[in-house]
Amino acid sequence: MPVDHFTLMLLHALLIAVFFSFLWKPERRERVRYFWKVLAILALGAVAVGWLMFPFPRP
Amino acid sequence: MADSSAVPGSRSSLPLSVLLASAWLVPGLGHLLLRRRLRAVVFFAVILVSFVVGILLDGELILPQPGDPLSYLAAVATVGNGALFLLARALDVGQGVATAVSYEYGNTFLLTAGMMNLLLVLDVHDIARGRKE
Repeated sequence: MPVDHFTLMLLHALLIAVFFSFLWKPERRERVRYFWKVLAILALGAVAVGWLMFPFPRP
Repeated sequence: MADSSAVPGSRSSLPLSVLLASAWLVPGLGHLLLRRRLRAVVFFAVILVSFVVGILLDGELILPQPGDPLSYLAAVATVGNGALFLLARALDVGQGVATAVSYEYGNTFLLTAGMMNLLLVLDVHDIARGRKE
């Protein structure tokens, strides 16, 4: 199985976004909007946190 | 505490305890029994994919380890996978390869799958009780 940090993070974000959009939103339109919102927050948030951690490398 | 009689107003004639046990055992089965077919299929697929990816990434189905309190929390999530966990144990997979580069990724997928399935059990409870559509 290919191990690429970003790909695995995106796959994880995708699964979480699908799960919670179907768990919490009853209507199709709401689900689609919520899916993209959660996916964007997870994916872009992870990239942002990665950049924030850049100045603080592990000793 | 779950009662043994069918829930009044529920879309299923099954007792709540059976619905909850079904929801835990097979991801999405509780929703299927409550006639939420689309959600049942989606939940089953999401949890199955997450679980299989976790196994393929050399993740570990974490069980309680004496002296490691966090392992007890992880074990709750692991057992939350229901039949997938039992099947993996029977097939002797999910032992985890701690030296593998993907070990922590695999654990994350496995724990997430279990936690999602436990959330589904709570969701089935709310739907059966009429608190949610």
